[in-house]
Formats: sequence, structure tokens, C-alpha cells
Amino acid sequence: MKRSLVKALIFTIITAIFIASMVWLFFALIPEPPLRDIESAQASIAQARDQNSVIYSAKTFREARSYYDSAMISWKTENKRFILFRDYERARMFASMSQKKASEATRATIAKANDMRVTLDHEITRLTTGVRDFEKVFSSMPIPQEIKKKHARGKLLLREAVIAYEKGEYVAGSVKIAEANEYITDSYNYANDKLVEYYKSYSHWKEWAGKTIKESRENGTYAIIVEKIPGVCYLYHRGEKKYTFEVEFGKNWMGDKMIKGDNATPEGRYIVTKKLSNGSTKYHKALLINYPNQEDLEEFRVRVERGQLPSGSKIGELIEIHGEGGRGGNWTEGCVALRNSDMDVLFKYAGNGTAVTIIGSSVPLSEYISSR
Amino acid sequence: MKNRFFLVVATVAAVVLMTSCGKVPQADIDAANAAISAAQTAQADIYLPGEFAALNDSMTVIMQSVEAQKSKLFKNFKTVKLQAGALTTLAGQAATNAAVKKDEVKVEAETLLAQVKTLLADNQALVLKAPKGKEGKAVLDEIKGEMTVIETSINDAQTLFDGGTDYMQVLDKVKAANEALTAINTELTDAIAKVRR
Repeated sequence: MKRSLVKALIFTIITAIFIASMVWLFFALIPEPPLRDIESAQASIAQARDQNSVIYSAKTFREARSYYDSAMISWKTENKRFILFRDYERARMFASMSQKKASEATRATIAKANDMRVTLDHEITRLTTGVRDFEKVFSSMPIPQEIKKKHARGKLLLREAVIAYEKGEYVAGSVKIAEANEYITDSYNYANDKLVEYYKSYSHWKEWAGKTIKESRENGTYAIIVEKIPGVCYLYHRGEKKYTFEVEFGKNWMGDKMIKGDNATPEGRYIVTKKLSNGSTKYHKALLINYPNQEDLEEFRVRVERGQLPSGSKIGELIEIHGEGGRGGNWTEGCVALRNSDMDVLFKYAGNGTAVTIIGSSVPLSEYISSR
Repeated sequence: MKNRFFLVVATVAAVVLMTSCGKVPQADIDAANAAISAAQTAQADIYLPGEFAALNDSMTVIMQSVEAQKSKLFKNFKTVKLQAGALTTLAGQAATNAAVKKDEVKVEAETLLAQVKTLLADNQALVLKAPKGKEGKAVLDEIKGEMTVIETSINDAQTLFDGGTDYMQVLDKVKAANEALTAINTELTDAIAKVRR
């Protein structure tokens, strides 16, 4: 009896140890799930996303997400198998690749975002200067409305770019600044090219003004020199400047007069041919000049021959220096307008035969631009 | 002999029973996903981007927890169920908050739109009073041109506003117009004040 009890006890103990060993072996063989690797990958993706990698490193970020999804799919697939046959290595591999890509996206984003910020900042400064220069140098020039609108549109886009920059939205800001650059640069180049083209006659202007002043000195006479830039009229006597008056020109003042009705003020050397006052002019007082002179007639003929002017064009006439100026802006049909009080002074000293020289400017272009 | 046999069978049965416990709370997870979709429909991704990102992060964690439990012999989805329930509540709150934020931005955009239109009209009146000296005329022409362009931009912003989708974009556009008009207003006011002195 005692012997059979001991036997039974020994059997139970051995069975229990066997079952415990089997259970321990079973749990030991269960593979470790890839939770930590997948959590790391997800954390890296979140970091990349928070740095705006979706915008700045879109492709790399998408790859990181794709690897993460693959890791999850692989994990799910393995979990459907019998627990001891699961293999999470593939899931770990995908998770690791996802983490690498996400980290790469974060690094690239930080570098790109910083580059973009610096470039945007530089462009904002450059275009702000461009806008300011345009307004200082070119605002008084006769520029077509469409060019002025372009400039205004560029200015507004520049403001929108600044707002985006201040919000840290560098991609949106870059898009706005690129658009602004197109408008501002186009309008600036148009105006600058027009001014440079106009100033090609500078040597002629200098020569004409120089001759006029010399003759005034040598002959002891009065002479009138009109400069379109900066819009002044000088009265010389014996080669010395005596008076300076502000003047206004035709709306299309920039350049020589080509045809009748072009609203341009002629450039060249003329003389006063008639003095008008006391109701004989509607502009208070006037000095009629001999436009067109021989040179003007010859130039007109050549232009018509070359087809540079429309057929049937007529040369202008009746160009005067007159009063009723001071209206602000350039409004005449080609004449030179002064305030009545200034016209009174000019009218007092000028007479028939007084030299009238109309030029673009005596100020060199570089000096004109830097003075603005 | 019989007792030993029953002991083994009982042990195996117990193991099988315990390993099959715990089902994925799919209904709760689906509800959480639906709530996140609803938050996106309410434009939480636009008006509360941080909060919306957090919702998606939480869902990602839940899915990880589901697979982590599935990886175990003895599964327990109680925590996952609780997480999904909490996320559904948060997503619902985010949808509500997004609607509130959208309304706030809409009101701000509407107010600013009205303000710039008034400022534009004020500036147009100031242009008539501004001094028209030689340089002044040229500057006034420039200002008039600029205001025409700004007016077009304001009209574009109004069209966007009436469309009712992205009030943030409307706000950015109108802020730029407001800044431009304010600068013009200052320039005109100063010029008029100088003449009066």
C-alpha cells in the first residue's frame, strides 16, 4: 500500500514537472512582437510630419509612411498564423526602413526649410527695393497703364508673400514671391529700358544746351533752356542762369515730337517767333516758337519715307511756352506750361528771336537715378 | 489511470480556453474611425491641424495596441476598447471645435472684408482732396492704379468667402489688401496735413 502511494506521488510530480516544462517551453518559443520597432517608426514619422516634411520632403515622407504601412500589414499577417510559427522579422525590417526614411525626411526638411527661409527673405528685400526704386525713379514717366497695373499687382503679391513668410509658410511664400518677381521685374525693366533708350540722346542735349548758353554769353542775350527731367525752365542772361521755373509738358513728354496729336513736347533748338498776351491766347501769356524747324521737317520726311510713321501723318505746329501751368502732372498737347506768375517773368525778358532750347536733361542718367 | 487522463485533458482544455479569450473591439474602432472622418469633414485638418494630427496619432497607437494584443497568447482588449471609446469622444469634440473655429475665422474674414471696403472708399475720397503738385500728380496716379488692383483682389477675396470653403485663405488675401490700403491712407493723410500746415 505504502509502495503504491509513493509510486503515484512520484508519477504526479514527474507529470507536473513535464507539463510545467512544456508550458515554459511553449511561452519561451512565442516570438517577441515588433511593437517597439513600430512605435519608434511611428514616432519618427510624427516628428517628420510636425516639421512639415509633407511639404518640404514629400517623396521621402511618403516612402516612410509606405514602409510603416508595410510593417503593420506584415505584423497583421503574421498574427493570423499559429503563435509558434509567427515570424516578425519582416515587420521589423519595414519598421526600421520607415524610421530611417522618416529621419531622412526630417533632416532634409530642416535644411530645405532653412534654405527657403533665407532665399525668401532675400527676395523680399530685393523686390521691396525694386518697388521703391520704381516709384522713386519712374513714377513721373509716361508709362502705359498696363505696366503700372503690373507693378501694383506685383506690389500686392509681395505683401502676400511677406504675410506667408511671417507665418512660416515658406512654400506658399515662395510661390507668391515668384509671381511678384515676374510682375515687378517686368514693369521695372520696361521703365528702365525706356529711360535708358531716352537717354541715348544725352550727348545731343548737352551739345545743344552748351551752344545755347555760349551764344547767350557771347551775344549778351537772354536764352531759355527747358529740361524735361526734372521738369524745369531756366532763363539765362549773358550765359548766367537767372531764373528757374517749374514746368509741365505734354502727357507723352518722354521723347521727341513725331506727329501732330501725339501729345509730345519737341526737343531741339528753337527761337521765339511771336509773343501773345492780352486775350490773344487762352493761356494767360504765350511765346510761340518755330517748331517745326528745318531739322524737324527733315526728320519727319525721313520717318515717313521709312514707313516709321502712319500714312497720312502730319507734323505738329503751334508749340508755345505759355501760362496756366501749376496744375500738377503733364497735361498739355505738347506745349511747355508755366504758372502765370512765372510766365509773367519769362514774358518780360524774352522777345522775338530769343533762343529756346528744349532737351531731355542736363543731368547724367546715373546722377538722376542716384538723386532719386 | 483514468484520473491521470482527465488531468491532462483538463490542463489542455484550460490552455485552449484562455488563449481564445478577448475579441478585437472592432465596433469601437470603427466608431473611432468614423468620428475622425467626421472631424475631417468639419475641416478640423484646416482649422485645428494640431488637434487633428493628434487624433490620427491616437488611432495609430490603437492599431498598434490591437496587433500587440493579437501577438500575445492571452489577449486582453479591454484597454483598446477604452482607448477607442475615448478617441471617439475626442474626435467628436474636435469636430465641434473645428466648426467653432471655422465660424471665428469666418467672422474675422467678414469683418476685415467690410473694413477694407470702407478703407478703400475712404482712400478714394482722400485722393480727391490730396495736393496735386507736380510730383504729387504722378504719385496720385500711382495710388489710383494701385487701388484698382487692390479692389480686384478684394473682389476675389469676396468670391472666395462666398464659396465658403477656406476662410483662412480669404483672411490672408484681405490682410495683404488691408496693409496696402493702410499704407496708402497714411501717405494721403500726411500729404493733406502738410498742405494744411
